[in-house]
Amino acid sequence: MAAAPQTQAQPASAAVKARQRRAREEELLVWPDLVFIEFICAVLFTILIVGLAVMVDSILLDRANPAVTPNPSKAPWYFLNLQELLLHMHPALAGVVVPTVALIALGAIPYWDNTAEGQGEWLSTPRAWLNLKVGAAVGAIGTTLLIFYDESKHIQVFEMIAGKDSWPEPLNFMRGLRGIQNEINWPAWTLDVPLGNVLRLDLLGLPKIELDWNIPGFIVEQFIPVNTMVGLPILLSLVAHKLKIAQTKRDHMILQFSGFIAVYVTLTIVGTYFRGEGLALVPYTIFADPSH
Amino acid sequence: MAATERPQGRSMGDRLYDAIFGNRLWRSIFRSGYPNTPRNQMLAVATNVFLHLHPTRIHRTHVKITHTFCLGGLSFFLFLGLTISGVLLMFYYVPSVDRAYTDILALETDVRFGQLMRNMHRWMAHGMVLTVLMHMMRVFYTGAYKPPREFNWVVGVVLLVLTLLLSFTGYLLPWDQLALWAITVGTNMVGSAPLLGEPNRFILVGGFQVGQAALTRFYALHVIGLPLMAAVFMMVHFWRIRRDGGLARPL
Repeated sequence: MAAAPQTQAQPASAAVKARQRRAREEELLVWPDLVFIEFICAVLFTILIVGLAVMVDSILLDRANPAVTPNPSKAPWYFLNLQELLLHMHPALAGVVVPTVALIALGAIPYWDNTAEGQGEWLSTPRAWLNLKVGAAVGAIGTTLLIFYDESKHIQVFEMIAGKDSWPEPLNFMRGLRGIQNEINWPAWTLDVPLGNVLRLDLLGLPKIELDWNIPGFIVEQFIPVNTMVGLPILLSLVAHKLKIAQTKRDHMILQFSGFIAVYVTLTIVGTYFRGEGLALVPYTIFADPSH
Repeated sequence: MAATERPQGRSMGDRLYDAIFGNRLWRSIFRSGYPNTPRNQMLAVATNVFLHLHPTRIHRTHVKITHTFCLGGLSFFLFLGLTISGVLLMFYYVPSVDRAYTDILALETDVRFGQLMRNMHRWMAHGMVLTVLMHMMRVFYTGAYKPPREFNWVVGVVLLVLTLLLSFTGYLLPWDQLALWAITVGTNMVGSAPLLGEPNRFILVGGFQVGQAALTRFYALHVIGLPLMAAVFMMVHFWRIRRDGGLARPL
């Protein structure tokens, strides 16, 4: 393929000529080689979509009724990862801050990993696959474990082994993330610290803060989740660096990106298939329950 | 001009060929001659407004299906399919809380191929979210975001957001329980943002709860606002791929 067109101007030197020939031999004409692939791809997908549309009807439930709230109420599937996060932290954090930061971080990838390493080929750097596997495994398993912890599944496992009600009382604050807030005797003053008396913005001529600060609530809903979401990826990179799994920028990028994708997919799967009535952690399918 | 590039002799086939591909009507539409020689094949791409987003030549590795899995092209293909099926759906749909649901019911029962059209639109919408996400993963793992393609990656992230928003705004339109409550849950997430959350949610929903104002807004965004924005960003996205020398290649 790709015989040089006859009209092509003669190159100057033999070296240029050789290089040009080599480059040309590596090339194909877009028509027909690419255009036909695109065409066949489009035909196949048209058939696939028509076939799917003939076989599977899209759902239509009862007419919208603001008075009847279905249980569970779920967002579209691609937002169920955020809805899942919502169960574990402050709504502002899960619903807005996390997606915003995630999108900015996603957009910033090429500005951080700006080397030409591994460009233009599938996972071509030496440790690419290793980092993909490690990142994906840590992301998926870590997310699952964190969800299990917050849903007190470790208590069930412990009691299955050691007998009913055997979880030691002093460790009640470890029954789940909320345990830190609910099972510890916080002094009364920590539950509503008048922030306005601490941060005296009124002295600067600004409006006085009217917020009462619930310290245990803050720790559980914001401090721990933020530190988990920022800290664990950093820890992962540090450990991978020490173990020489990730050595270059590209390695770390693959590690982090794969971890992110794994977390995203895990949260989506849990939010879609394992959140039933009252968003309890049970197997659930939307199609089995017509009342949804 | 094509005469020198064809085999010698004037057989019946040749004369038929000239009659079809050499007549004035054909030549007025396709100026480059039938693409059966390298020269005409390149001209076919370079002189066609739709095909000229492609270069005329492409590196051998980039036509391997496993290099791209056609994911970006498929996303665009699904966008086009969604536009066509969406326009057809608009013929039968009025975005009013009184009519929307019955319009969908009528579409499914009274309109010929109405159910099929709705199914196609829905499956293509889900499919597009998937292909866009997978396209992003493909670009990442082939290291195709590296200089000079950094900004095109950012444009791609914007297109990902627009795809999600297109799907999200379309989710409300059938006006069934699934639609209403999914959008209620989704917009409540926006409302939970510090400071600007509640005002933003109010603007998006057009009130304190998802009702007619929300339906009107989501409809307008879904059928014209967001597709236009997506089209603009796609133009930039494709143009930059071409400007940056096509798909990324190892140095």
